[in-house]
Amino acid sequence: MPDLIIDNKKIQVAKGTRVIDAAQSAGIYIPRFCYFAELGAVGACRVCAVKFIDGPVEGIEMSCMVEAEDGMVVSTDDAEAVDFRRHVIEWMMMNHPHDCPVCDEGGHCLLQDLTVAGGHGIRRFSGKKRTYADQYLGPLISHEENRCIQCYRCSRFYQEYCGYKDLGVMGIAQRIYFGRYKDGVLENPFSGNLIDICPTGVYTDKPSRYTGRKWDFEQSSGVCTTCSLGCSIRVSARYRQVVRLEAGYSQAVNGAFICDRGRYGFSWVNSEKRPRQGRVDKKTMAPQKAAAAAAGRINDLEKQYGPGAIAVAGSGRSSLEALAAWHHLCQIRSWRGFFFDDLAAGPGAAAAVSGLSRENAVSMKAVESADMILAVGADPLREAPMLALAMRQAWRAGAGVFAIDPRDLEWPFAFRQVSAAADEIPGLVSGMATGNGFFENDSRHGRNMAAIRDQLAQSRSPVIVCGTAAGGQATVSAAAGLVQWLRKSKKDARLFGILPMANTFGGILLNGKPGTPEELIKGMESGQIKALVAAQSDLWKTCQDPDRLDRALRRLEFLCAADCVATELVSRADIVIPVFSVFEAGGIYINQEARAQWSQPAHAGGTPVRITGAGGHPPRVIGAAIPGGGLPPAWLAAWQIAGLAPPDSHEAMMDWMTKAYPVTAPVKTMGSEGVRIFPSQ
Amino acid sequence: MLPETYINEVEKRLRRTGRPREMVIDVMLEVQQFYGWFSDEALEQTAGLLQMHPLELEELATFYNYIYRQPVGKYVIHVCDSVICQMTAGYESFVEHMQEKLGIQMGQTTHDGLFSLLPVCCLGYCDLAPALMINQTVYGELTAEKFDQIIEDLRREK
Repeated sequence: MPDLIIDNKKIQVAKGTRVIDAAQSAGIYIPRFCYFAELGAVGACRVCAVKFIDGPVEGIEMSCMVEAEDGMVVSTDDAEAVDFRRHVIEWMMMNHPHDCPVCDEGGHCLLQDLTVAGGHGIRRFSGKKRTYADQYLGPLISHEENRCIQCYRCSRFYQEYCGYKDLGVMGIAQRIYFGRYKDGVLENPFSGNLIDICPTGVYTDKPSRYTGRKWDFEQSSGVCTTCSLGCSIRVSARYRQVVRLEAGYSQAVNGAFICDRGRYGFSWVNSEKRPRQGRVDKKTMAPQKAAAAAAGRINDLEKQYGPGAIAVAGSGRSSLEALAAWHHLCQIRSWRGFFFDDLAAGPGAAAAVSGLSRENAVSMKAVESADMILAVGADPLREAPMLALAMRQAWRAGAGVFAIDPRDLEWPFAFRQVSAAADEIPGLVSGMATGNGFFENDSRHGRNMAAIRDQLAQSRSPVIVCGTAAGGQATVSAAAGLVQWLRKSKKDARLFGILPMANTFGGILLNGKPGTPEELIKGMESGQIKALVAAQSDLWKTCQDPDRLDRALRRLEFLCAADCVATELVSRADIVIPVFSVFEAGGIYINQEARAQWSQPAHAGGTPVRITGAGGHPPRVIGAAIPGGGLPPAWLAAWQIAGLAPPDSHEAMMDWMTKAYPVTAPVKTMGSEGVRIFPSQ
Repeated sequence: MLPETYINEVEKRLRRTGRPREMVIDVMLEVQQFYGWFSDEALEQTAGLLQMHPLELEELATFYNYIYRQPVGKYVIHVCDSVICQMTAGYESFVEHMQEKLGIQMGQTTHDGLFSLLPVCCLGYCDLAPALMINQTVYGELTAEKFDQIIEDLRREK
């Protein structure tokens, strides 16, 4: 644990910490362009220069290239160091265009900030600036190479960190060029991060061009709800619409990056088609009135057929609050029950939740330090993309990666695959734990399975990644069993399940055995279920047989939909109650690692000005209400549809939830990293 | 298209090599020899042979001086513009003379497709400054007369 002094502050850091990070841990920010913790240090930009006054190193050195050592005395504001950095910035600005006012990076540009901070206000260089032709990189990222300051962050991220080869650095000296061989859409499914890591405006976000400057936006910290990983995001909103998502930082989940699906998968929030008005039999009305009408119809049907004729379908798209409300309401009204769509997409989800414990759970960031990874029935790149990136980091550090899966897998790192059929997987996985030596007799998989077993035997901290879609419950149970057996053999083995949705975990945590979509459809087919409330339900999307579902839905006497997305069920519903999405209401989501996280609302809701104004000035309506605003959060709509008095604020809702479902109590005191909640075993 | 015999021969060499990527510069130079310059077609074929991404080859091709991504003359005259050569008396007028003699500027090729004039950063012949290199042959202690003689000789050879 080296002790050193930076700017007269005594600092103790872990061995191997770089001086630039040591300073940051004490709240001293040293300028940097090329240094990025996840990508490592290369010492390319020279702007993190500091003066080493005493100790094992002396003089001006790059703080990203020097590891902290005992007895170091460092000054970041020494006159010589300040002057050095000022010159570095000045030479970087020699070729950099003076286009900040029209540059899309202007306002959140590291180069702009440091140029101002470094005191370089007057240009002395009178020569010509070098210029380049830009490239078309696809519909999501704009390229403007003239602004480049050669920090190499993009090529290092693209090729080393992600393992894709179609963007890199060409040329030499004054001709250096970062881009592709030829124009074309970037192949890397994490390429949106180039926008975040580029310290200037070479790569900028294309869809959000001309929507505003950073200071125009309402900004909030959110949780990505695109898959079950729960990555941190920064949300920018303006004029009642979500404009841009960027990677948020989370030490436990995604580190500093997110995938492109999460970054760009939000167009449904701003969609014209999104339900924004209550609808009762094709008549529009206020959401609250529509909910009251729904409550009336449900009461009538309940009197006629009994409470068993009423069912609720929901999904892991809902917040924990909404799921708790529906679970509870189904129970106290003695309705047929809450049916969970996610179990169609992930039949193994319940086993993945119940198999997880404080001992065997592993954060995505910690997957990077695994020394062996075995993925069974899982394709992270498709089902949870950031996990594939974490697995690549483990592979780069020397971990062997293996897969048992029937599909053609393509991951950005080398791995060895056993191409077993889905129904073979559970046997192969549990066979490793029993160790009964049947691999020797298996002519198809024997050799590869033996290699996996040998690698597992040598490993100390293996991670078993397990999908819940392909293999189903038996695969998940076998994977959990293997982890348990490995832990008994004194290995720090961990289980990483991939769930279908952002809050699948939450839905199962509240009720270990929610109804399956299959049971729901059977209930509708038999005529036992007469009324269905589709509460943010993706039943239509997840159902394998739409004709069958169509026939089943036609047998219903009443279909009610409460949603923030224009689903097929919404367009078929007799009564529609529009609800706020996570971007307007916020909400708690529990990721596949059992980590509950609060996603802040990004704006107060309402129909985007883009839509109300139809290209021009929005209508001049004087009043306090936000046009299209005032929708209920999903949890509030639940109570209204059940015809009961809801908790009167989100705070009251949280009090109610933590009392009604004591397992959720830790969410009341959780910090920015969230809190892990395991099902009580 | 590269001749079949060459492709077979390279593939044989690649199989023998433990790390085929290490052969990339050799193969690039050979393919360039065949085409006269390293065209897009040449680059893409080389990428296919070595199973590398075209960008990886572009990264190398644009880094090195002796791989030409634009058509060049039969004789490529690499004129050293490093500091030692520049320090020799009359360097600037010597460069002027070369351009006048050939009727082209630095970076251009003569109309008959015979000569290209390219600057290069240090040939390592500082003791013979000013120096230049034409198709692997180095000429040193140059004067205008010496240069004219070299050009006339090459023109006769064609």
